Amino acid sequence: MLLVLTLLTFALYRAIPANPAGFLVDLSPGHVPKPAEIARARKALGVDKPIWEQYGLYLWRLAHGDLGIAYEGTSFVPLTDERVGQPVGPTVVHAAMVTGSVVLGGALFALLLSIPLGAIAASRPRSLTDRTILVVTLVGICTHPLVVALLLQQFPGRQWGLAPPGNYCPFFGSAPTTADPLSGRHLVGCAGPGAWASHLVLPWITFALFFLAIYTRLVRVRMIEVMDEPFIRTAAAKGASRRRIVRHHALRNAMGPVLTLVGMDVGLALGIALYIESVYRLPGLGLTTLGALSGGTGYDLPMILGVVLVIGVVIVVANFLIDLIILWMDPRAAQAGTRRSAVGRIA
Amino acid sequence: MAAGTATIDTTALAAQSPSRLAWRRLRRDRAALVSAGFLVFLAFAVFAGAPLLGRAVGHGPNDLFPYAVNLALKPAGPWSWVPDTSTTPGIDPKTFKQTPPPAGTGKTLLVLGADGPLGRDELQRLLYGGRVSLTVAVGATLLALLIGTTLGTLAAYFGGWVDSVVSRFTDLVMAFPVLLLAIVLGTTVSGKVSDVTLGGALNKGVLSLILLIGLFTWFYPARIVRSLILSLRRREFVEAAEMVGASDAKIMRTHLFPHVIPALAVWATLAVATNIMLEAGITFLGFGIKLPTTSWGSMLAATWGTVLAPLPYNASSFSPWLTIIPSAAIFFTVLSLTLLGEGLREAFDPRGVR
Repeated sequence: MLLVLTLLTFALYRAIPANPAGFLVDLSPGHVPKPAEIARARKALGVDKPIWEQYGLYLWRLAHGDLGIAYEGTSFVPLTDERVGQPVGPTVVHAAMVTGSVVLGGALFALLLSIPLGAIAASRPRSLTDRTILVVTLVGICTHPLVVALLLQQFPGRQWGLAPPGNYCPFFGSAPTTADPLSGRHLVGCAGPGAWASHLVLPWITFALFFLAIYTRLVRVRMIEVMDEPFIRTAAAKGASRRRIVRHHALRNAMGPVLTLVGMDVGLALGIALYIESVYRLPGLGLTTLGALSGGTGYDLPMILGVVLVIGVVIVVANFLIDLIILWMDPRAAQAGTRRSAVGRIA
Repeated sequence: MAAGTATIDTTALAAQSPSRLAWRRLRRDRAALVSAGFLVFLAFAVFAGAPLLGRAVGHGPNDLFPYAVNLALKPAGPWSWVPDTSTTPGIDPKTFKQTPPPAGTGKTLLVLGADGPLGRDELQRLLYGGRVSLTVAVGATLLALLIGTTLGTLAAYFGGWVDSVVSRFTDLVMAFPVLLLAIVLGTTVSGKVSDVTLGGALNKGVLSLILLIGLFTWFYPARIVRSLILSLRRREFVEAAEMVGASDAKIMRTHLFPHVIPALAVWATLAVATNIMLEAGITFLGFGIKLPTTSWGSMLAATWGTVLAPLPYNASSFSPWLTIIPSAAIFFTVLSLTLLGEGLREAFDPRGVR
């Protein structure tokens, strides 16, 4: 699949009329680049070779772990025809970690809240609590995460000052300045776990709200189904307390489809993370892609390829992990192959 | 009751087809009915009602009303009567207020207020923008249904390598974030497609969004159709049809297709809801409908800017209505579609969970 992805991106790049020489050639007004300069730039960028050769070279370097050098901000090494610039690998990995911290933190938040809420709703079906939870989750699904992010950033963030309204702080060490991938401005740094967490609070809440709604409903439906099973009645007959029944017996068996949905939602999660990153200005995978796509001088191919590759890897790994967890929780799934047969969302 | 030949009145016990049963169940679901009513009203308002409203208030969605914004560029709120003139007011040097309009200019009603520094009618822009958003969402859903049903049926019916190729492909691409792919493709290839307007029937940029979203969401109906038809493939009625000599196409059309309609109907309503949110998101990110075409997403983008060009918050010109109105439109449309979809799902396949 990763091969297909890279091929697709390369083919797309070919389809668009972009001339990456603009990155290396002096385009200041009043200076018309000479053909020799353009040829030199194209040679340094490697785009003067036929497209198959470019692709082959890319794969070869990839096999050695080299993701290339970004087009954006690249420049010639003085007096030679080589070019230096921002290496794609570390940038993309850092962006992946930023996105990862948003997604994982938000998902944890969502799961931690949705399981108890779903269990409570299931234990009192059709009561006021249940109905309220249903209505609130319905509202949560139907509100666009973008609107939530904008409102959270504006009001608790900027106006009431409850939490910092944006920017990312690395967890480890001190990174004094980082460049905003879109505008190239340098942002004042902050670092350390405390700052990292406080800057991520609003993004986590935004991310969690949407998934909270979906997972709470799913947990509720599953718990209601599971509570009707005979083994629950057996446990009660054996004298287990209600708490033990819910925690030890029911929840375990109800979690299967929840985890399946989590696995299937990785793509959706990345999409929502894109909205969140763009509003809160976190330099994650989404913003990096947008920056690579919309630079004034053209499309930053190595960066786009790097991001696409990393996303592909993440998805493959995530699905694999989810499969392992499901197998651990319910060994019968190995025979049934149930994960692939899920057909549609439970909104 | 007299003994003897007791004839049972069988008309009341007549067997009801699954669709009749489903319809009866749906009628009992009040939330779904209200939602369906709202959606019908919305469709009417957006397509037929918008020009009617324009006729009623006397101006269109693109007419500028500079008097509808105050000096700090804060637009007027809902239900405001503004002078019906498009000349920009000057500023009186003595009082630092806007110069009043020339005597005799009538006033016109802006039902939901003005839409920002340009002072256009927010409600009309909402309705015309609703046309675009709904066209995109419904069009993309129809496209996805068309492609997905065809490919899913073919894969399930013929099996073998066709099936494995289609299944692997759908599995792979479904895992990938649609949004990112859509944006990458949207920027690269939509240049030529976005100007196609089908003779003015669609606005600019609508067709490319329809194609984009539709081409990335057809996997879901394909999976649904494929698993349904796989389970029906070896049933007796299909065998009987084959024995009678029905062609493959006829079997697929007449015998297998009616079974997938309920599941597809449920998916379609939820898909339209998702596509509305997707369109709003893509446009906000700057890659969807571009001005001057309005859509609900671009109304939000007009207030907050796009990702690449965010508009800074300015307390004196901020009007919460500009965010609330399109968000509420999106919210209620998505809400009714979701309720209708859940109602349809319950009607076609009731479980006792409620």
